[in-house]
Amino acid sequence: MKEEGEREVVTPGEVLGKASDVRAGRGAYLAPHNNLVYASLTGFRRALSPSPDSPDQRPTVEITDHKAHGAVPEPGSIVIARVTKVMAKMASADIMCVGPKSVREKFSGIIRQQDVRATEIDKVDMHLSFRPGDIVKAIVLSLGDARAYYLSTAKNELGVVSAESTAGATMVPISWTEMQCPLTAQIEHRKVAKIGG
Amino acid sequence: MAGRPGTNPTTYSPSLKTQKTRSTIFKDQEIDWVRPDGRGFQQCRPAFFRTGAVTAASGSAYAEFGNTKVIVSVFGPRESKKAMMYSDIGRLNCNVSYTTFATPVRAQGSDRKEFSSMLHKALEGAIILETFPKTTVDVFALVLESGGSDLPVVISCASLALADAGILMYDLVTSVSLSCLGKNLVIDPILEEESYQDGSLMITCMPSRYEVTQLTITGEWSTPKINEGMQLCLDACSKLANIMRSCLKEATTSSQE
Repeated sequence: MKEEGEREVVTPGEVLGKASDVRAGRGAYLAPHNNLVYASLTGFRRALSPSPDSPDQRPTVEITDHKAHGAVPEPGSIVIARVTKVMAKMASADIMCVGPKSVREKFSGIIRQQDVRATEIDKVDMHLSFRPGDIVKAIVLSLGDARAYYLSTAKNELGVVSAESTAGATMVPISWTEMQCPLTAQIEHRKVAKIGG
Repeated sequence: MAGRPGTNPTTYSPSLKTQKTRSTIFKDQEIDWVRPDGRGFQQCRPAFFRTGAVTAASGSAYAEFGNTKVIVSVFGPRESKKAMMYSDIGRLNCNVSYTTFATPVRAQGSDRKEFSSMLHKALEGAIILETFPKTTVDVFALVLESGGSDLPVVISCASLALADAGILMYDLVTSVSLSCLGKNLVIDPILEEESYQDGSLMITCMPSRYEVTQLTITGEWSTPKINEGMQLCLDACSKLANIMRSCLKEATTSSQE
């Protein structure tokens, strides 16, 4: 339920309340040395009332409608990536969208052989799962190493969303391992994502 | 960059606290310097800020303090270079550069080479780096015209650009510098005063939390002089922070309409 009151704009460093009165939500932080909750973003301050059965009855104060920084992949977020390189044991992909937001500059991700699907993970052939240029939907497993985020397509709804055939047409998915070109009726192998219910 | 007609830039001149029982160490009779622009010794130049100047950047800000004009762009958080080692907290990369037309004569800029690392030290204490692991935030500052007190203006403008980019920060960072000319302490010096100065003091602080992130002193200073200088600068910093906050709030409400 949205409360219409006066909407107060806060800037970083402004005091939002005492730690005994409010809890720090998104865009706010608690300073341990003086037990005050400060804002860390510029935006409108909003108070969320706590759920009635939680032991902590302090309202959560958070900052909304802020100009958030560009999307950054976080472990557990669903991303859309374009495959750039396919090798024997892994595929490189450029992460273009995190959730519903597109990134300003691409991030590098890799999909390892054991993360392509959930069953028979050692018998995966990378070239029968991805090709360069495919658009895949994946989940971020972890921050990975210095070079790339680790991605996984090991779920039914993850995998290749859109791919171009060798003839140049957008292919139609037939099963979870095959896609067909509408122009030449050629069947190509991919790890296809199951879209829809 | 939407300009609002009729908004007067406000100044952030400090005031020595009247409840101090100690009198100021500089009597008004001993005046070694007359300020070329007619300001009082404790009077700062009018400050003007605008956010959102650069559309290509994640966040940006433009600041104009008298003749000192600075524009800062912030990019990020974006992927670190491949050669960098993994880090579980974010990285900050700062660069301060002068345009070729910033000064009337092409100065050597021997102290300007350190401005980038000084900006880095001033800002890194205020950014919550843990919120963007493995990525880098790039801050690029360009001094369009150097009219004195360049680095403090760059630091304040950079902190406004970071807030405009939506980077989580502990607090805004404001910076004010002070020049010592003979027996007089002169706040917010212009280029001419900086060339004649005997010493300088620059404070960068987070005014809402009353914490100093950087203190730079050059020249010969006695302890009472440092005390008075710091008091003046800290007071000016907190007033400057109010101007910066009102600029951010104005930008937020005007973008909502």
